[in-house]
Amino acid sequence: MTTLMINGKQYELDAEDDMPLLWAIRDIAGLTGTKFGCGIGMCGACSIHLDGELVRSCMMPFGAAKDKAITTIEGLASEEGLHPVQQAWIDKDVSQCGYCQPGQIMAAAALLWENPNPSDDEIKAKMTNFCRCGTYLQIFEAVKQAAQHQGEQS
Amino acid sequence: MSTLSNLSMTRRQFLGAAAAGAGVFVLGISLPGCAKVDEQGEGVINAFIGIDENGVVTFQNPFIEMGQGTYTSIPAIMAEELDADMAMLKVVQAPHGPEYRIMFNNTTRFTGGSFSVRSSYMTMRKAGATARAMLIEAAAGTWSVAPGECTTEPGVVIHRESGKKLTYGELAPLAAKLDIPADVPLKDDASFRLIGKPVKRTDNRVKATGEAEFGIDIKADGLLYAAVKQSPVFGGSVQSYDQDAVLKMPGVVAVEEIPNGVAVIADQYWRAKKALEQLPVTFDEGDNADFSSKSYLEKLKAALNESGVRVEDIGDAGKALSEAANTIEAVYHAPFLAHQTMEPMNCTALVTKDHCKVWAPNQGADFVAKVAAEITDLKLDAIEVITPFLGGGFGRRFIMDYTAQAVTLAKKHLGRPIKVIWTREEDTQHDHYRPMTAAKYRAGFDAQGNPLAIQITTAGEGPSGRLNPEFLKDPTIDESIFEGGPHQPYGIPNKRADVVSVPVKPLPIGYWRSVGNSQNAFFKESFIDEMAHAAGADPVEFRRNLLTEQPRFKKVLDTAAGMADWKSEAWQDENGIKHAMGVALHESFGSIVAQVAEVALDDGEIQVVRVWCAVDCGFAVNPAIVKMQMESGIVYGLSAAWSEEITFEKGRVMQSNFHDYPILRPDQMPDVEVEIINSGEPLGGIGEPGTPPIAPAVCNALFKLTGQRVRSLPLSQYTF
Repeated sequence: MTTLMINGKQYELDAEDDMPLLWAIRDIAGLTGTKFGCGIGMCGACSIHLDGELVRSCMMPFGAAKDKAITTIEGLASEEGLHPVQQAWIDKDVSQCGYCQPGQIMAAAALLWENPNPSDDEIKAKMTNFCRCGTYLQIFEAVKQAAQHQGEQS
Repeated sequence: MSTLSNLSMTRRQFLGAAAAGAGVFVLGISLPGCAKVDEQGEGVINAFIGIDENGVVTFQNPFIEMGQGTYTSIPAIMAEELDADMAMLKVVQAPHGPEYRIMFNNTTRFTGGSFSVRSSYMTMRKAGATARAMLIEAAAGTWSVAPGECTTEPGVVIHRESGKKLTYGELAPLAAKLDIPADVPLKDDASFRLIGKPVKRTDNRVKATGEAEFGIDIKADGLLYAAVKQSPVFGGSVQSYDQDAVLKMPGVVAVEEIPNGVAVIADQYWRAKKALEQLPVTFDEGDNADFSSKSYLEKLKAALNESGVRVEDIGDAGKALSEAANTIEAVYHAPFLAHQTMEPMNCTALVTKDHCKVWAPNQGADFVAKVAAEITDLKLDAIEVITPFLGGGFGRRFIMDYTAQAVTLAKKHLGRPIKVIWTREEDTQHDHYRPMTAAKYRAGFDAQGNPLAIQITTAGEGPSGRLNPEFLKDPTIDESIFEGGPHQPYGIPNKRADVVSVPVKPLPIGYWRSVGNSQNAFFKESFIDEMAHAAGADPVEFRRNLLTEQPRFKKVLDTAAGMADWKSEAWQDENGIKHAMGVALHESFGSIVAQVAEVALDDGEIQVVRVWCAVDCGFAVNPAIVKMQMESGIVYGLSAAWSEEITFEKGRVMQSNFHDYPILRPDQMPDVEVEIINSGEPLGGIGEPGTPPIAPAVCNALFKLTGQRVRSLPLSQYTF
């Protein structure tokens, strides 16, 4: 048994250490908002935060996440409500099929953490997750809105 | 005209979707032409609307949501006439069965062909209007007033004179007891508050919180997971495998054969996948181990010199070409393509001795039910189909191969739900591909450069003939391989088109967003550009001159050119980087789309800077979704044009994942501007028509930049 801390909650997981964190989160902890897309760390559908760092969880062995704080899309909102990035995603009607969007949102939240006021070029360079529906322009817009919103709040 | 009835059958079939307890008002609509498939002699009904005592309107959508907006546009049409509050709307997927086959005179139901809104617009309006009339009647009865004295506001019936109000939730149990009226009048278009407006998506919140449930996310008690390995050579089969080598691995439950491969079942997906990787398995490669896309392309090119089946013949193109002062000829081809939905193929099934439940991402619940019934030997009414959100479809999820696997495995493990998940590699290598196609175009001009004739020969095999031969009007003519090439609006006096069938069987081919238009628009609009160049004319002006009899097309073209401030010549920006514009105009699925692409070349690297897109889909039921679908279609087409290609060697697919089948990245995304033309013509589709024009628009711009004519895709094979 290994203990993982996901979204502030402890999960006892029975799994081999080489299991990618993605599958531990999805199939053992039952948090299915984090998606499987490619399994080779390219598409970003599995993006999560690990001790505040953006991580592609399909590439990280489950064992390497012991003693670290994992945040998934389910844990992004706080008691005060949705994360500004989530709210921006709703306001801008970003999602189409929506499959990649939890990963996109986690990537956007991490970007704004590092750089609260990114330029258009910085957004384009830092948001590297794939979207097959082609919602990229809405994603860029929503990141900008979230940045603005965060700026107004702080 | 529809007649309406609220039969008990409707209530039962409304499932537990709306917490279907007492007081739920369920409206069914009996549609003409359905009676013949009714087994109970009561007319077949389509149950779309349920209202519970709290006023929550549950809408059973016959169309699936795969990003294209059907969970917003379709219920909004109904809600317009019902006068429902969109915030009180709950959209669920309708079960399988004849009640929901509302397409093509109530013969079928699927989500594709850009058909959802245009095929159900009036049905949904009538459904909403009828329910509203019944709620009004129920209120009028309660107040002992005439129904004509009452009106509605979203979710509420109001007696005008007294101001008395009753909510839809309060009225639902009463309305459910009323006879269903016939011929209820519909709203005036001028009073629409939802139709024609940018109604917000109903699914945007759950998709931002991670709550949206996709097929891959399905949870069930005692769930097992299966990883599959299918024969790498199409048409091959399993020869042998050694299950003992993996049965003792942690969590492994069983190793099973599936139709063209093997599956490992385990208590966790990762354990199943790991065991599968270690399972010794050999395949009998069958008859196709010598197939290569290279040799198939040679066959296609050779076929372009054969006489095929004539599919268009106007004037005498042969004579006109032989007498022309100048002729040009070009041969094009386009590769096999994969769909690459972000959510890989998956399906969950639970079979018991008298029931089968299937959770399947699908583009037609009836297709799922049929496959499940065949495999389990159960009757259709013993099959339950649950359709979650789809993580992309694009035509892939018409094919039920992954569903058959899950049901096959679940049948061997009665009482245990089993979820099959394909890896990206399996998904890439066992798709049903957009077929490789080749075409030869010839044109003749008079001495003044006026086009006299166009002749097209297309070679390949289309998906319709393979998958839905019943769709073919003539069994020798499969439009899905040449659609979008011939039958164009351009006023050229002599036109001839032939198609040569070159079977690619048994390689799996399928419907890929915009189907034959995806390759034929590239051929046709590139060649029109070649013609303009040969005639010494500007590409927009050349097209305009051929559209004097086609004002609708001309307006779309002019709109896009105007939006772009069309530039005939290439130019340099302030950094010395060369830019140029290219244009394409194409009709598909009843909608006309023109796109202008601005492309820059920076040290040989392509940058698609901006795309201006004009669309005439008759009328935009939800303009926000129309715009999004144009953008989405552009991205899908641009991605393919830029870098997508499936190749076969020794009967195997050579690509496996996003590293060797790259899809469009965020940093490649152009700016896109969309303008909608509400022409008032019949409704056209919107999910696909944005895709076909982008490849030729970009390639035509590249020609202007480089003088190099792109006659095959993808662009990644060229050096500029």
